[in-house]
Amino acid sequence: MEDIIRFFGSMGFMNMTWQQGLMIVLSFFLLYLAIKKQYEPLLLLPIAFGMLLTNLPQAGMFHNDLWVAFLDANSPAYHSYGTIMKEGGLLDILYIGVKAGIYPCLIFMGVGAMTDFGPLIANPKSLLLGAAAQLGIFITFLCANAMGFTPAEAGSIGIIGGADGPTSIFLTSKLAPHLLGPIAIAAYSYMALVPVIQPPIMKALTTKKERAIKMSQLRPVSKTEKIIFPIAITAIVSLILPDAAPLIGCLMLGNLAKECGVVDRLSKTMQNELMNIVVIFLGLTVGATATADTFLNWSTLKILAMGIVAFSLGTAGGVLLAKLMNVFSKEKINPLIGSAGVSAVPMAARVSQQVGQEENPSNFLLMHAMGPNVAGVIGSAVAAGILLTMLG
Amino acid sequence: MTTLTVNGFTWLVTGVGFGMVIVLLIVLIFILMGLGAIVSRISAPKAPKAAAKAAPAVQASAASAQGKESDEMPVAAIAMALHLYFNGVHDEEPTQITIKNVERSYSPWNSKLYGMNNLHR
Repeated sequence: MEDIIRFFGSMGFMNMTWQQGLMIVLSFFLLYLAIKKQYEPLLLLPIAFGMLLTNLPQAGMFHNDLWVAFLDANSPAYHSYGTIMKEGGLLDILYIGVKAGIYPCLIFMGVGAMTDFGPLIANPKSLLLGAAAQLGIFITFLCANAMGFTPAEAGSIGIIGGADGPTSIFLTSKLAPHLLGPIAIAAYSYMALVPVIQPPIMKALTTKKERAIKMSQLRPVSKTEKIIFPIAITAIVSLILPDAAPLIGCLMLGNLAKECGVVDRLSKTMQNELMNIVVIFLGLTVGATATADTFLNWSTLKILAMGIVAFSLGTAGGVLLAKLMNVFSKEKINPLIGSAGVSAVPMAARVSQQVGQEENPSNFLLMHAMGPNVAGVIGSAVAAGILLTMLG
Repeated sequence: MTTLTVNGFTWLVTGVGFGMVIVLLIVLIFILMGLGAIVSRISAPKAPKAAAKAAPAVQASAASAQGKESDEMPVAAIAMALHLYFNGVHDEEPTQITIKNVERSYSPWNSKLYGMNNLHR
């Protein structure tokens, strides 16, 4: 009889708090968004499932408390990888990849192997638009700090404005790991909502005439340029900003493998198998950090609110700089491509194309918007490196 | 009412951080422009030799024009595909399946063959 009572007592239902129940319901909602609405399903699905697993009472798959003093030399409870391997659950062990900053870099490698930097090389001025779109990161950093977050936390919240999931996770895991769950969910949710968030801002900041501007054909880019580009960018950015080296280095390694044409097998692995495996691990473990005690608080709501501010300001920054460039340059550029300066590759570029075609159906902005779009990836990685250097 | 305050360090990080992003990417713009210029100079056909031999030069220019054309082809194809996609323009199919009825006179000698191998004649 005692065994039966103990068995029932060990059931998850008997040990569930209302907060855990709420988190499980929230994970169901995110699963619905991923499967039915297809909002960034490749990442949202594993994130939502990780959230479900971590909030199952008695399952012991992830222990937030294990990570509080992890590698913290100032803490009396200092411990290292051995303790995690001994006492951690499955998700704790997988989380080492996030904590060590491995997964975001490997994902960047795959992103690099899938990205064509040709439009950026053909029109290097696109980099300015990619830089301007990082305005959202820094203004949000300012606002988040004013709202009571520490500078490190504010930097992690601000990076949501870069619209770049791996960069957000990389920076947050270094600066404010306790906010990883809400920040990752905010970043990926808003990235999925780019087609909803950006168009009203783009239309509000531009006139009909500006939206109808046709841009001239981009020049063809030689293979030599495409091969030199990743090598040069890695060397220059890493020498100026060593903290950005892991992200930029991996991004450019992937791109070099694609462009050089002699390591097709490696390039395909980076684009497919490696990327997919890491996406599963990253999604699951990031979702696992969203436990009831870390997620259900006012900070999460503030982060979600600041995230949308960051996205909107980034979009506005790119569009406004494109308008400013039109004042000074002879060859007019369509300001709509400025909004693609927030990363979110290639969705932000597609939004520029669609909004442009609403005004002028014969206008094709996609290739022009890809320039600022991939510049945004470099820009957000640079911004992350700067924040890491100054706040880390 | 709570007052939102930002300390000097935060202003510094914001100003210096955003400034550094802009400066670094401007540096990259100049490097990319320089790279483009160097590569195009190296890969451009040498003028004196081309002038000396008029016929090969004509051939080279024709080849480069052809190369340019072939570079532009994918862009044109993508543009056309996007145009067709976004405007819902596509071939209209009647969606009717027409089965041609093949009639043959019955014969006890070949009826089995007709059933197994119903070929057009």
